Amino acid sequence: MPRETFQQELDRLVGEVVVLGREVEGTLDDMARSMDGYDAEIASRDLGVDSRFKGRGAELDEECMILQARQAPVARDLRLIYTIQAVNNHMVRAGTLGEHICRAIVETSECERDPDLHAALLEMARSARDLFGQGLDIFENRDIESARDLEAGDDKVDLLYSEAMNLVANPSDGGGGAPEWRVRAALMVHYLERIADHGVDIGERTVFLVTGERMESAMRQYRDRDLNVDED
Amino acid sequence: MTMKRTEETMREEGRSGDREHRPNTRTTEVAGRSSGGVKSAEPVVTVENLSMYYGSFKALQDVNMRIDRNSVTALIGPSGCGKSTFIRSINRMHEIVPKARVEGKVILDGEDVYAPDVDPVRVRRKVGMVFQKPNPFPTMSIYDNVLAGIKLGGKRKKGELDEVVERTLRQAALWDEVKDKLKQGGTSLSGGQQQRLCIARTLAIEPEVILMDEPASALDPVSTQKIEDAMEDLKERYTVVIVTHNMQQAARISDYTGFFFIENMGDPGRLWEFDETSKMFSNPNRKETEDYVTGRFG
Repeated sequence: MPRETFQQELDRLVGEVVVLGREVEGTLDDMARSMDGYDAEIASRDLGVDSRFKGRGAELDEECMILQARQAPVARDLRLIYTIQAVNNHMVRAGTLGEHICRAIVETSECERDPDLHAALLEMARSARDLFGQGLDIFENRDIESARDLEAGDDKVDLLYSEAMNLVANPSDGGGGAPEWRVRAALMVHYLERIADHGVDIGERTVFLVTGERMESAMRQYRDRDLNVDED
Repeated sequence: MTMKRTEETMREEGRSGDREHRPNTRTTEVAGRSSGGVKSAEPVVTVENLSMYYGSFKALQDVNMRIDRNSVTALIGPSGCGKSTFIRSINRMHEIVPKARVEGKVILDGEDVYAPDVDPVRVRRKVGMVFQKPNPFPTMSIYDNVLAGIKLGGKRKKGELDEVVERTLRQAALWDEVKDKLKQGGTSLSGGQQQRLCIARTLAIEPEVILMDEPASALDPVSTQKIEDAMEDLKERYTVVIVTHNMQQAARISDYTGFFFIENMGDPGRLWEFDETSKMFSNPNRKETEDYVTGRFG
């Protein structure tokens, strides 16, 4: 079978990227759970994971480059390697941001917090974690129908971002929490919004991988399809 | 009914329109591609419903294609699918094969080359050809090889001929290597140099279209690169159609790519898909094209 070895290499590469993605998802889960009770113990488990993510990401990136050099991929193979590199980058950056949030929780666990802002942060953390997980599921299963749901999830995070930033700028009387925590909270709001975006981007890249079309165009075609055609 | 779609089902959906069409219908759509999102340019060759036969054997069926002026078009596909047969139809070279015949039209500059009053020799002066194996005339010098075609057209002044030799050898990226040995035999050159000499010989008759049938398949990578570089320059003045089995070469040098394919053993070859090269090598419309360019078969 022509190119059987190349196909095996691609399959292995996808598997390794998903493994890294699940590790990042684990860090984001710790991040959300530690945000819940501001639990420094859970958060401290993930301190330093960013260097491991970056190192593994660099290895996968190099594998992609070598495959391109050796196999000169085109069409779906080219889209797959292009997507793997992009997804890999999104995962590493999301993992790094998750680690930064865990570190912020550890370093401000004793500080006084604004309960309203903390509640917004917790909701954002759960939503960002879930969006990342959805994006990764879409990539692993090539389940691009679910990519439609990412848009709504992203809108929710954007609303929470506005709400949280408003609370950062306008603390309730006497309840704004310690200044050190507020500064970190502002950064965490930004990081969480970025993590959610990385999840959405992973899903969108998968749409491109499968259809060869960019998200907006592919989704428009999907919505405009003839629903009267029976599916077996 | 399940709502969950995975990669395969979505791709099938995306291609369901193609699957409803027979390939000949598809290629008819291709012929009108100027209105189908592909850039509009002046066609130099338009092929309409072309079928080709060797005796009773139908080698090619219902090919429609428009070849734009000053473009490079690559023709790819498995062996025996009709690529070489097709390009030989453009300059009527297939007629040298006994019992070969065509149906349909090949329109060159607005004139059907198969019209009864058209002289095939005149067609071949407008549509030059470079073959897979370099074929310089063994008894002629490099200089005379370049001028072999042009001398058939009548006498010219020596200075004029010198200018033609230098210009065409430069266009074929060979001048610097042979300028001091123009009187040596053409076969004294390396294989790659001989092929570039043959390109210069083709250019000397000032064709509008240059057909190349796997011109670099027998050459080393350096010689191949020189021919590819020359091709990039050639399209400034000429229109190039090249048959190649080298996918990367097609991707590197061509503006448009046509994929020829035989669906079932014994069927005639068809133009299965034709599009801009960037599209054909990143997201082709048809599964068979994608399987071929990614090396899944062929």
